[in-house]
Amino acid sequence: MFRIPVSPRSDWQQQAAEFGFHFHTMYGEPYWDESAYYQFSLAQIENHIEDPTAQLHQMCLEAVDKIINDEQWLRRFCIPQEHWDMIYHSWQERAPSLYSRLDLVYDGKNPVKLLENNADTPTSLYESGFWQWLWLEQQVDKQVLPRHSDQFNSLQEKLIQRFTEIGRHYSIDQMHFTCCKDTEEDRGTVQYLQDCATAAGFQTDFIFVEDIGLGDTGVFTDLRDAPITDCFKLYPWEFMLRESFGSALYEANTHWLEPPWKALLSNKALLPLLWEMFPNHPNLLPAYFADSTTRYNTGKWIKKPIFSREGANISMLENGEETRLSDGPYGEEGYIVQAFHPLPVFENNHTLIGSWLVDDMPAGISVREDNAAVTQDLSRYLPHIIA
Amino acid sequence: MTRKRSKTINLATMRKAFALKPLAVGVTAIMASGCADDRQDAKIYTSLEACKTDYPDAVQKCETAYETALEESARTSPRFNSEHDCEYEFGANQCQQVSNNGHSFFMPFMTGYMVSRLLSPGPMYSQPIYTSYSPYSSFRSRWVTADGHVFSGDIGKRNYKVSPSTFKAKPTVTRTVSRGGFGSSVRAKSSWGSSSRSGGWGG
Repeated sequence: MFRIPVSPRSDWQQQAAEFGFHFHTMYGEPYWDESAYYQFSLAQIENHIEDPTAQLHQMCLEAVDKIINDEQWLRRFCIPQEHWDMIYHSWQERAPSLYSRLDLVYDGKNPVKLLENNADTPTSLYESGFWQWLWLEQQVDKQVLPRHSDQFNSLQEKLIQRFTEIGRHYSIDQMHFTCCKDTEEDRGTVQYLQDCATAAGFQTDFIFVEDIGLGDTGVFTDLRDAPITDCFKLYPWEFMLRESFGSALYEANTHWLEPPWKALLSNKALLPLLWEMFPNHPNLLPAYFADSTTRYNTGKWIKKPIFSREGANISMLENGEETRLSDGPYGEEGYIVQAFHPLPVFENNHTLIGSWLVDDMPAGISVREDNAAVTQDLSRYLPHIIA
Repeated sequence: MTRKRSKTINLATMRKAFALKPLAVGVTAIMASGCADDRQDAKIYTSLEACKTDYPDAVQKCETAYETALEESARTSPRFNSEHDCEYEFGANQCQQVSNNGHSFFMPFMTGYMVSRLLSPGPMYSQPIYTSYSPYSSFRSRWVTADGHVFSGDIGKRNYKVSPSTFKAKPTVTRTVSRGGFGSSVRAKSSWGSSSRSGGWGG
């Protein structure tokens, strides 16, 4: 695993405009950064990342099975009781999932460690599935990169395939897609998934989350009052379950992507549960509910809210002393602590691997760098190659 | 050796010559695939007269089709918060301001309407059709429906065969009783994050 400087393509910004990649610069900071790339060996990719990713995902599915059959765990995961049935049924019916991203610490040598599972609303998908793929093709064509360079990235292929399977599963050829207003990044991610669904033969209709309506027959509606029967949402279950339309979810009977059972995996309570189920697993970090341990009084721990986004409300605990690393609106549902495991540093950058799954198949990685050691607040996305 | 990356990606379908931001509609082509047999003839008219000329014995039906499309347009046309956003997508002077329940927004004028099964005994089908005069829009000189289906060919083409799934009956909704029941957590939490990437709710 190396970080290698490289000349950016001279026309990449123009191409970004052409392809509709509008969020390559965000909040005045560069986000897409092709002034360097990461290089992995095939063995690193397959043995160190791909295999553990598949295994971690299976462990997570085992965890779902445990939570769903145990009231105590459902409460621990702060799942509102009125939604237990919906989540239970979505799991019993094996409602198909589309994708997830595991955030991993990996330094090229030691076993990967799972930091979190973004199982419900992962972003940086377009950059991973398409944009870094295009970068590789073009840099190889220009002989900037060696001919045999490859990339761990079959995301787009697998997403299209998965939409085809989901179409067959529900006998549908139309799907709604939704995300919040005023976020170019989320809208871009959703548009990418619409493109993949279109390639799989779907008709796609977009609606903003805030515009979703409730019809007089109990189904959700779009702005034309047409029913939303099948919908991809880039909007967290933990919000949906608690908002005013939440009580209409069960009756509305919408086929959601991700399905309701994913609410259990995007939850930080998963981390202590995994550690309890698979103690000392080489790809897990010790994790506990903050209110049931005093282990954080020795050593270095990261304290995270059970629900949180964008690295909000995170603290470092060092021998019991708490240092707040980021503010935020979360934490009312409680906290977990996870043993601190530093990200590897390459040229002063703290590097995080996002490992993608489409359904249960490992499908590629994204590499993000940040100046800060823990909070991935203004991280940059760098492409990678296998060579 | 097996490749670890997608073998091919159709770059043509990945190009987006328009900005996503003002766009409230998805862009998809009506699928020409599937059984050719079950597709139905549909025709686009840009005036009431043109329909009457085609169907001198069914003038009343032409009028109904036109009225239906106009009503549909008022209800379902793409909506924009600003005239600029609307004109960016549909072209200069192609948009009107509309007020509804105290909300004001802009929508494009209906350019024409698509009619199917006009003389059939069953239900007639009519829907509003738009085109764009904007150089920035992927809808330029194309026929597009209110929900963003772009038909093949340019606006010279008036006759289409459309799949019945285009009008496939969905679960009945007579009306929407409320909106805005999702999204409140965003308003509550989005004041945080200041300089950081506070916008998205993906992770």
